[in-house]
Amino acid sequence: MTQGMTRREFIKKGLTMVAVGVTAPSFITRTALAMNNPWDVAQVTSRPGVPDDRILVVVQMGGGNDGLNTVIPFTNDAYYRARPNLAIPQKEVIRVTDELGFHPNLAQVKDLYDKGAMAVIQGVGYPNPSRSHFKSMEIWQTADPEGRVVRYGWIGRYFDSKCPVCEQPTVGVNVGQAMPLAMNAETGMGVSLENPETFQWMPALNGLGEKEEQELFKLLNAPAPGVDEPGTIDFLRHTAMNAHVSSERVRAAVNGYRSGVEYANTRFAYSMRLIAQMIAGKLPTKVYYAHMTGFDTHANQRGTHENLLQQLAEGVSSFYRDLEAQGNADRVVVLAFSEFGRRVAENGSNGTDHGTAAPMFVFGKAIKGGLYGDQPSLTDLQDGDLKHGVDFRSVYATVLDKWLGADPAKILGHNFERGAFI
Amino acid sequence: MAVPSLRRFRPTASNPWNRVKAAHLLNRAGFGGTPEEITRFAGMRIDAAVDELLNFESTQEIAFPEIDFTPVHRLFEELVRLRQSRAEQQTVRAVANQLNRANREKFQEIRASWVSRMIQTRRPLLEKMVLFWHGLLVSGFPETRSAEHMAIQLHLFRRMATGSSKQLILAISRDPAMLSYLDNDTNRKGRPNENYARELLELFTMGIGNYTEQDIKEAARAFTGWTFAGNEFVFRGAWHDDGVKTFLGRTGNWDGSDIIDIIFEHEATARFLPRRVFEFFVYQVPEESLVEELAGVFKRSNWNIKAILRTMFLSEAFYSDKAMRTQVKSPVQLVVGAVRTTGTEIQPLALVRAMDLMGQALLYPPNVGGWPLGKGWINTASLMLRYNFSTLLLNGAMPGVGGGRRAAPARVEHLIDAGKTKTAGDVVDQLVDRFVQSPLDRRRKWGLLRAFGTNREDMPIAATGANFQSQLRSAVHLVMSMPEYQLT
Repeated sequence: MTQGMTRREFIKKGLTMVAVGVTAPSFITRTALAMNNPWDVAQVTSRPGVPDDRILVVVQMGGGNDGLNTVIPFTNDAYYRARPNLAIPQKEVIRVTDELGFHPNLAQVKDLYDKGAMAVIQGVGYPNPSRSHFKSMEIWQTADPEGRVVRYGWIGRYFDSKCPVCEQPTVGVNVGQAMPLAMNAETGMGVSLENPETFQWMPALNGLGEKEEQELFKLLNAPAPGVDEPGTIDFLRHTAMNAHVSSERVRAAVNGYRSGVEYANTRFAYSMRLIAQMIAGKLPTKVYYAHMTGFDTHANQRGTHENLLQQLAEGVSSFYRDLEAQGNADRVVVLAFSEFGRRVAENGSNGTDHGTAAPMFVFGKAIKGGLYGDQPSLTDLQDGDLKHGVDFRSVYATVLDKWLGADPAKILGHNFERGAFI
Repeated sequence: MAVPSLRRFRPTASNPWNRVKAAHLLNRAGFGGTPEEITRFAGMRIDAAVDELLNFESTQEIAFPEIDFTPVHRLFEELVRLRQSRAEQQTVRAVANQLNRANREKFQEIRASWVSRMIQTRRPLLEKMVLFWHGLLVSGFPETRSAEHMAIQLHLFRRMATGSSKQLILAISRDPAMLSYLDNDTNRKGRPNENYARELLELFTMGIGNYTEQDIKEAARAFTGWTFAGNEFVFRGAWHDDGVKTFLGRTGNWDGSDIIDIIFEHEATARFLPRRVFEFFVYQVPEESLVEELAGVFKRSNWNIKAILRTMFLSEAFYSDKAMRTQVKSPVQLVVGAVRTTGTEIQPLALVRAMDLMGQALLYPPNVGGWPLGKGWINTASLMLRYNFSTLLLNGAMPGVGGGRRAAPARVEHLIDAGKTKTAGDVVDQLVDRFVQSPLDRRRKWGLLRAFGTNREDMPIAATGANFQSQLRSAVHLVMSMPEYQLT
């Protein structure tokens, strides 16, 4: 499969790039060159046996997902004792094994599980877990539980590792309002957008003419050659140029494809549909990032959590069917995580407080579906919380190595054990 | 560069108190000044300028209208009456829906009226502090369900904005919007809810690393029974755990206010709030020596916020290169500042919507951590939205906002003093002075000259010429589409 621009597109865009290139610093020139044939760059760095057109989609379940009410140990008395009000009754659980089952609202992803297109990795966490949303989210996004100061995210470090199309700003696309730390890269690659229609600079059209205004826009925004400017203004110029070179391509990709698959009317489903459109539109992208929020269920958890799992299942399931219709299902893996699970025992507000280990989910036609890792003990607890069995960095390592063909030791700092789910 | 210090800034001939510094003060301690305001402040002594902003009590505020919640109250009472009289399910649901709608409309009304207030206020530092507290002691929709509770919380911030922060922390712990946002309203004896206790320690007073998980559990017990009824704080004795707790090494029969007393005995607390204030107003990651000094001021003043602000606004650090024009404007700063700078009239709800898109939805914070600072505001999409915002000011619509009727093009001629305008360079200089407030390098200046169809600063131009209005509008859009305009 070829990705990126046709030769004709390049000539058209290449010329505008050259106009900037006269005075542009190296990163823009590199971008312009890379646009010639994105996968040329890939040829240099990819690993034999790992196709370069593979894509990872990360789904962040923000707030701390209640793992125990997602993948339910429905034969375990300790579960029902700890949760007199919140436990999912045995008869409602969608059975997966004799001991474990899914929340009833996960029916649509259970279909994927039955096809072998969903892996559940149980008991994922890290040593000395933080129960702070912000600290723990930072740990997951930087893959750094040891408290070294890491400025760049684990995906950003992958972009920095000379991956295929890493020379293009769209190598990483975040669909959401704020760029996640996970995608923060030293090279500054990666773009963020919510709505393709607002992702463009609008000329004022007051007599100057659009062409002239666009030229002036570049003149006013491009980094100056040989001028050492303070960090923030340089960052702004860099971001403006990333937007400038990618906004038209993103919109063209999105507008070129209309899915026949129905998506639910939720923000998450909208994000997943947009990602499916960008994939269909052959955007040169290795990692997409989508967000869900609201998992911080300290009070009246039942309705909120049910609703969120429903949204997750609908969004992922529509996305998968869309990719199948496109013929892209075997190119894409979805990885869903949350910053922590929740306390085993419910609190007095019909909710649960911050906990530790929880399951992660992997979806994709090319993966080896099933259950991985062990369900943590509900009686052998640490401060009322589950003990993790799988380090989340070994899940990252598996994806980086076996799916993206990158060197996990270089990106994560250690050589973590690989899982068997890919 | 010397390490910035909190020593008093003393103007000298080579480093005077001038328009650039006055503009900086007005930007940071408020939402920016017009060229006239900047000139007035530059003409004052520095401490008089700072005190005028700081002692806002002596400035007569405009009489802003109060939001009327009687429609919501009436629907609420009707709903209660219907439920008590066991009315038909359908009728009950219809009234419940009406109530939801009325409440949501009030949320929008509060947001719009707050933005209008930030634009019109004669007490800009007060509104800036209300924004600071809203972003630090976070509550918001949907966890806080009642719009009226949010209005009450903003009043609380306005009343206590620059006084004792310890009293403010106690007051916010009893505030209905906060009690519902962090679920303390259902925190009861036996199976406590840790949500409020954790964020009080981590995000409001001490910062992570200064307490244990056990301290959180003990503090949560102390806050059991702190709830509300209607719009009032209520202490429910039956829900309160009056057993002995050990919190930060102190053992006793503590309740919530004891917990706050103990928190304020700790050095971490003395440093936490001053650091947050400094980062909001001056720059991120301040030198530890500065934080130490501010912590001293904070303790000696009995946790007084105004004392910290005064020290800060009069300090060398505040006027240092590290501080001047290095802060990324928040969406509120960008939007409110632009409207104040240009004197444009525009529907406040359109402004609120623009801020929402840029990532700062007032009363809908992203999570309990509040909004980011600095570069966190900027990504490829938010930057384009910020650039396009000038078309909302100039043409009444921008991508993502508008839809409705386009407003008549805003006037721009008042942005330029025709009496001082003889050349294209004069126009560009006046625009840079109004919008950027610091010199621009030659290439960028040349780019702005091109909006007037010339490469030359000395090209004669008449501010009354036929094309001038349209050229000026293009130039304003281009200035606001520059990285320099994103900084303050």
